[in-house]
Amino acid sequence: MSIQSLMAAVALVVSLNLAAPARAHTSPSEASAALSLLPVAVSVAAPVLVVGGASAMTVVAVHASAAGTEWVLERVSDGVRGSVHFAGHVSTGIGTAVVVSAVSTGWVLSAAGQAIAFIPNELGRALLHNERITR
Amino acid sequence: MKGRAAMKTKIAILALALAAALPAQAGRPCETQPPTTQAVERGMTLAQATARALDASGAQVAVLARAGQDLSKYGLRWSHLGFAYKGGDDGRWRVVHKLNHCGTAQAALYRQGLGEFFLDNPQRYEAAFVPLTPEAQAALLPLLRDNAAVARLHEPRYNMVAYPWALQYQQSNQWAIETLAGALEPGATTRARAQQWLQFKGYEPTTLRLGTFTRLGARVGMANVAFDDHPNEKRFADRIETVTVDSVFAWLGRAGLGEGAPTMVRL
Repeated sequence: MSIQSLMAAVALVVSLNLAAPARAHTSPSEASAALSLLPVAVSVAAPVLVVGGASAMTVVAVHASAAGTEWVLERVSDGVRGSVHFAGHVSTGIGTAVVVSAVSTGWVLSAAGQAIAFIPNELGRALLHNERITR
Repeated sequence: MKGRAAMKTKIAILALALAAALPAQAGRPCETQPPTTQAVERGMTLAQATARALDASGAQVAVLARAGQDLSKYGLRWSHLGFAYKGGDDGRWRVVHKLNHCGTAQAALYRQGLGEFFLDNPQRYEAAFVPLTPEAQAALLPLLRDNAAVARLHEPRYNMVAYPWALQYQQSNQWAIETLAGALEPGATTRARAQQWLQFKGYEPTTLRLGTFTRLGARVGMANVAFDDHPNEKRFADRIETVTVDSVFAWLGRAGLGEGAPTMVRL
């Protein structure tokens, strides 16, 4: 995926209900959605992220506003920076070491082996939607 | 007092010990552990593969199952189902299904992507679906796109082993087949009538063999498990009937509502 098409997708909002994830395991009729725990980026201004394989990054700034949250990431190897935007409040610590891994549906941001956010590409966005129908 | 306290402790221990014996550790509290990178990758890859298989089927509406839990000791392969359908203008697959909230006694309906459906730390990265017949697809599709219509036969009081022929509770798979009944039979305007239609159409639930201690432990330890909707003669004979994916798949074929055997998707 090109940087241009990634950037063109900034308007798309993959809204996950982070505040009230339906989370449980029940069977024979079970429940839930782990992705509710995984913030999904709504936009990226981070060409540095758009690489294959895995890149080591550091969180250098976190900006929270009414519009959402922005993480500024810096690539460890050359100091190049980029930012990732989320809807709502998505916390992380400044100085957190983050690995950005390219997968077929986007990029997984992980810290200490656990996924902390997902940046969907076009394929990934087509697979994501979260809407509560009833109260 | 000492005796009562000891009894309470015993019951609590029993509940803990037997909670694990019920179908799949139901009612675990909400987990806050984030998924691993690999779990995200695999779940999304399964979602992608399932979207391709659904596209290839030519269907607009299918009954889609996941393997969220290992139910093999009950002879069951799948744990949860929803209706997958091709969404509005974008032609993307959506899943409408019912989810229980964090082991509570309540549940709600959700419309999600295939990604969310398979990103729930499944027991196996596998999916199965049965396209409905063209007539059933045509009847159900407008409901799936209409939030009010799709919730018409939804009952928020949740019990993961709800009795299929009672109205007190409704589990996820039960909501799905009652909603299918409501779509296909104009007279099935209430849950009771939907259940009558399901019986008429030969739906047969799965019978779980759950002994007294398992039932007691589950009832004490889990808010989303109840047995008081089951008839006494079955309950005290350890026969707990409920709606399972496997029984729904078998019935769809038997009743001529599904197109062929389930299509499997594996990573």
